Amino acid sequence: MTQLVWNGLFVGSFYALIALGYSMVYGIIKLLNFAHGDIYMLGAFVGFAMLTSVGVIPASMSITALLIVLLLCMVVTGGIGVGIEYLAYRPLRNSPRLAVLITAVGASFTLEYGVSAVAGPNPKVFPVRLEGDSFTVLGARISVPQIVLMVIAVLLMLGLNAYIQRTSMGRAMRAIALDTKGSLLMGINVNKVITWTFFIGSALAGAAGVMAGAYYGKIDFLMGFIIGLKAFTAAVIGGIGNIKGAMLGGLLLGLLEAFGSQWLGGEWRDVFTFGVLIAFLTLKPTGLLGERVTERV
Amino acid sequence: MKLRIPKALAVGAVAAAMLATTTGCGGILGGGGSSSSADTGPIKIAAVIPLSGSSAPTGVYMKNGMQMAVDEINAKGGVLGRQLSLDLEDGACDPTQAAAAANKAVSNGALISVGGYCSGATLPTLPIFNKANIPMIIPAANSQELVNQKLPNVFMINGTGTQQAAAAVKFMVKDGVKSVALVDDNTSYSKDIATETKKDLASDGSVKVALSTSVTAGESDYSSAVHDIMGANPDMLYWTGYYQEGGLIINQLKAAGFKGKIMVADGSVDPSLVKIAGSANAEGVFATMTQTPDTIKGAETWIANYNKKFSSAPGPYSTQSYDAVRVAAEAITQAKGTKGADVIKALEGINGFQIFSGPLKFTPEHTLSSGGFQILVVQGGKFVLKDALS
Repeated sequence: MTQLVWNGLFVGSFYALIALGYSMVYGIIKLLNFAHGDIYMLGAFVGFAMLTSVGVIPASMSITALLIVLLLCMVVTGGIGVGIEYLAYRPLRNSPRLAVLITAVGASFTLEYGVSAVAGPNPKVFPVRLEGDSFTVLGARISVPQIVLMVIAVLLMLGLNAYIQRTSMGRAMRAIALDTKGSLLMGINVNKVITWTFFIGSALAGAAGVMAGAYYGKIDFLMGFIIGLKAFTAAVIGGIGNIKGAMLGGLLLGLLEAFGSQWLGGEWRDVFTFGVLIAFLTLKPTGLLGERVTERV
Repeated sequence: MKLRIPKALAVGAVAAAMLATTTGCGGILGGGGSSSSADTGPIKIAAVIPLSGSSAPTGVYMKNGMQMAVDEINAKGGVLGRQLSLDLEDGACDPTQAAAAANKAVSNGALISVGGYCSGATLPTLPIFNKANIPMIIPAANSQELVNQKLPNVFMINGTGTQQAAAAVKFMVKDGVKSVALVDDNTSYSKDIATETKKDLASDGSVKVALSTSVTAGESDYSSAVHDIMGANPDMLYWTGYYQEGGLIINQLKAAGFKGKIMVADGSVDPSLVKIAGSANAEGVFATMTQTPDTIKGAETWIANYNKKFSSAPGPYSTQSYDAVRVAAEAITQAKGTKGADVIKALEGINGFQIFSGPLKFTPEHTLSSGGFQILVVQGGKFVLKDALS
């Protein structure tokens, strides 16, 4: 039982990190950025390229090296996210919503098969793998790498929350989410804020990608697809556009999967999970924390 | 998928009709057969194999194996005085894309097909080639579902899922395993082996199925499956899916402290499985597999030639793909032409033609008379022969 809870929370923290980017972007420009899951994949590949170019890393240094690579990857994937927004979404800012949605799907395929063409379609094995002892707490087996990754994820989420609540850029994001035109009239540089939103969202997804690569050990160019869908589900469950909702939704989705698979068997897990998504969308389309007139982001 | 087949059939029928018209025209106009590809010119061999997507690495092994056979045959003067030409189409291990690829191959004028890796993606291509009256020699896909279609043009030169399950059960009993967990990835191929294994275990009675579950392919975290397996605590886990998920499951099971044995099916037999699982974790993992170049006696020259030609080592299904082209060439030679019905008859008549898995003779169901499955084990990071089961 405690093992299930722990498993659920651990996977859920990955979902939450990616769901944040979905939710932030949706909150501000009402776009479902389907390329977001592929930014996660890109983060893993950028980290892979950095670590392999460094060469052999002594085991004692692996955590330090990984943290440095994590930060660098966040900058790179953040930059790529900004680039995608600039090239693919900004020119369509005033087009019908559907056009941007299709462009997002296009951006997703471009990233996937671009990486496949550059890095090859074979799965890659991450050069640094987080390994450590595990111990038992209340009957749940918990390993040191899991704790390290959970701590990083929680720190990133807390940092983001503080950034949105406390800084002027965060205030500007919230303002745009409420009323874009009004913000523009109040002298907020809307384009700059949207650029920052993409940067932060993509950096978080990139961080999740590096962490997944280091923990699970295998990366491939389609790894972002399913987790992207799951993160989207998490964002909807939590109330899309709501930052705390995305975090809560991610953790909840992780728990739903763990228990769904336990109760109904592995083959029914996704039926159960996505059944919950449908139920949420029909019964409470605003999600757990979303409100009809909500302060988005 | 069931819903998709009628559509594929319709498309296939249109393509076939178009093909019939074009060749018909060629016959009338050509008279002597100057432009018609059906009687002269290179013999087009089509292969729908995964060249993109997660199964693309195996697609490369297959492509090279086929190319090698084609080049060898062409160097010896071709078949019936005509050169062979390979038309590779990307099926991406995806039913929709594979059906489109098969239609493209048919309209390109394919005379025989030697493709088929993922069973789920190969299934919708069967009626398309059947409508066009093109014989298929399937080198890798081996789900029982393919056999169950009972199409006259379909021949399989890899052991079937049923034969693989029988080999797995034989080894479990021999190895003294008392309880087993069966985990598949919900694809046609994987589910097929798991179901057949369960059936065989039930009739054998000495091994208990402690758990039977599925996972979703393409994910990274299999902690819920690992949790279920740990809870069921079987003597052996039999994973019937592909190597990417297999590697992750082995890694996560060992990290969770699993002490039992692990066996994987042929879709997981790939050097990458060991890398993904970590070589310490993969050590001692068993596998049910048809002959690979490494385990075939006397294949050293063949491997050396392959290495020289492609500057890379052959992998799973290189040999079967190589053999598929050779069998196709043999059948066309026997049939003294490329007419579908004649080639099918020639394939049915083949008796004792040497391929890597032994002398070839098809059963009435167009499968191998013996599956040739053997048990491999990971030793020093490589799959080596453990038990030939003969």
